[in-house]
Amino acid sequence: MKNLKNSKIISFIMILVILVNFDAMAQLTGKQIVEKAYNRPVGKDQTALLTMTLTNSRGSQRVRKIKQFTKNAATVEKSIMFFQSPADVKNTSFMSWSYTNSKADDQWIYLPAIKKTKRISSDSKSDYFMGSDFTYDDLGDRKLNADTHKFLKSVTIDGKSCYVVESVSKDDEYIYSKTKTWIIKGSFIGYKKEFYDEDGDLLKILSIKKYEKISGIWVITHSEMKNVQKNHRTSMKLSSVKVNTGVSESSFTERMMMRGM
Amino acid sequence: MKKINLWIFLLTLSIFAKAQTADITGFARNYTGALFENSQFSIIQNTFSLDVAKMGNKVAFNANPMLYQYWSDSLDLRMRELYLDLYFDNVDIRIGKQQVVWGKADGVFITDIVSPLDLTEFLLPDFDEIRVGITAVKLDYYLGNNTFEVIWAPNFTSVEIPQAGSIWYIQPDFPVTPVFDWSKSDITPSLENSEFFAKFTGMTSIVDFEIMAAYTWDDTPSMHVNKQFGMNPATQQPMLTGLTVAPEHHRLNIGGGSFSTEVKGVIIRGEVAYYNGKQFQTEDQLAVDALTEKDYLHYLLGADFSIKGLKMSAQFIQQSILDYDENMMNEEIENTMTFLARYDLLRETVHLELFSYIGLTNEDALIRPKISYDFDDSFSILLGANIFIGDDAGRFGQYKDNSMAYLKMKYSF
Repeated sequence: MKNLKNSKIISFIMILVILVNFDAMAQLTGKQIVEKAYNRPVGKDQTALLTMTLTNSRGSQRVRKIKQFTKNAATVEKSIMFFQSPADVKNTSFMSWSYTNSKADDQWIYLPAIKKTKRISSDSKSDYFMGSDFTYDDLGDRKLNADTHKFLKSVTIDGKSCYVVESVSKDDEYIYSKTKTWIIKGSFIGYKKEFYDEDGDLLKILSIKKYEKISGIWVITHSEMKNVQKNHRTSMKLSSVKVNTGVSESSFTERMMMRGM
Repeated sequence: MKKINLWIFLLTLSIFAKAQTADITGFARNYTGALFENSQFSIIQNTFSLDVAKMGNKVAFNANPMLYQYWSDSLDLRMRELYLDLYFDNVDIRIGKQQVVWGKADGVFITDIVSPLDLTEFLLPDFDEIRVGITAVKLDYYLGNNTFEVIWAPNFTSVEIPQAGSIWYIQPDFPVTPVFDWSKSDITPSLENSEFFAKFTGMTSIVDFEIMAAYTWDDTPSMHVNKQFGMNPATQQPMLTGLTVAPEHHRLNIGGGSFSTEVKGVIIRGEVAYYNGKQFQTEDQLAVDALTEKDYLHYLLGADFSIKGLKMSAQFIQQSILDYDENMMNEEIENTMTFLARYDLLRETVHLELFSYIGLTNEDALIRPKISYDFDDSFSILLGANIFIGDDAGRFGQYKDNSMAYLKMKYSF
């Protein structure tokens, strides 16, 4: 009888230990959540037409159209963009090789008017992309270890259960004092993001309007960045999205920058 | 009649382009400048540029006629480019009139010697309009991110210089009024007189580089000066009675290279060329035609960097004549700097820019501030100035009287 009692106690303790450990396993750290979001499957390559609409505080709009190709390998992500409109930047192309290690990105721009390919600095990630509300960092070039990440809470927005993670740059000079990201549990898609300026005030809100599964990969096809301080916004819509079509390595060369695809 | 032909040509090209569903872009622009000194207009120019392109998987073509109208009536139609592209697996071939740009320098031409310059308005035209297209066959062979390029130009194209009457024309400084003999200034197109260029380009994650060689003609003609002497009846001493100046192009052999790389967020650029066989003016009385042949080095080191959205670039350029002798009219070493600062405001609709050439040898400069505003994606207005300062003997200081303000309005389509 005593042995039976002891056996029950041991079993209870074991279950308790397993439950406690399971809870600890389920509770990811902020860094792990962001890492999963950064590393979620995006396919080996992607082709799309990007339409970027800039709307100012008076409601007037400017539209930029870009054809873009990306290819992901183990240590490097290569992307190339061809600007199709407006007319004065047509056929300008931009190529980036982004490395998974700490090496700085390599970036080039081809200017058709002067027929020149120029290496440009990747140190300007805080610059805004083509006058939009997105910085180069906002577009996804930011490295995981550039920030410290802290899990804040779990919430449900728009019926989606999300982790909320606060990220603070390790660089004191960075344009954002912090960001807060809502990451959907399971798919690890960044669903919403708030950007706070150097004074700690809310500056911009990124909202995902639409995401869809294409060839088995989740792709964000419509997002909007709103600058709440200046009341202007930028919408980004992807169309003609193709995933894993076997984009050639030779697409990411100076030859293609100059020739177009 | 000529004007009617021009419009017929442009109309035909447009109809053809539309019928072929070609890609049509271009711009219309007004450019008006006035001199600071007397507020006279230095330029009133209207430009219409049409870029027609049709691209296939194996073949493409491009035509870029540009029509310049000066003052009220003068028309100048130029075919900036007109070429065919043939695409193969690892080879591209371009045939026709084309502009070729080499090197890593900005606003300085060291290894960028394939397309000659249009200097009829000094260095003031936009850099996309300052080069003159050449008729050539260009072949590019690709191996990964490396390219081997060879160019054969059967028909030599000279630099375009200001004509007498232009505010950019500099009267040659001769003791007596010369007679110009232009009989040797042209080069007959032939295989023997062709120009050949070759370049190897590498693009890597560490550095981009180019290595080039050229067997070419000096784009700028050398002035062969022949002096005629007579007897001074008063002193019974020989005296200079006449000068014949015969512009003539000479062969040049050029080898060089360039590179650009990123170091801690700063783009470092360098470029060097060795020019063999350049004819320089000399005051040596024993020199034939007042010319002496020397080699020279031309090189540059530059840096591009950005501080809080302010994009800046600086370049140091040196031209050094080897085996220099004191009778030569050029300086043995000429140092120049360039400086560029650019800042974009209001979501890249307002652009501020300051570009300057600074002649360190003659202490002169060309300073070019400008501000532009994009009313929308197709229409922009630019207000700028070209300010020449410094020593009259300098390349920039000699145009002190030509300092000007200007306005450009451009509609792109």
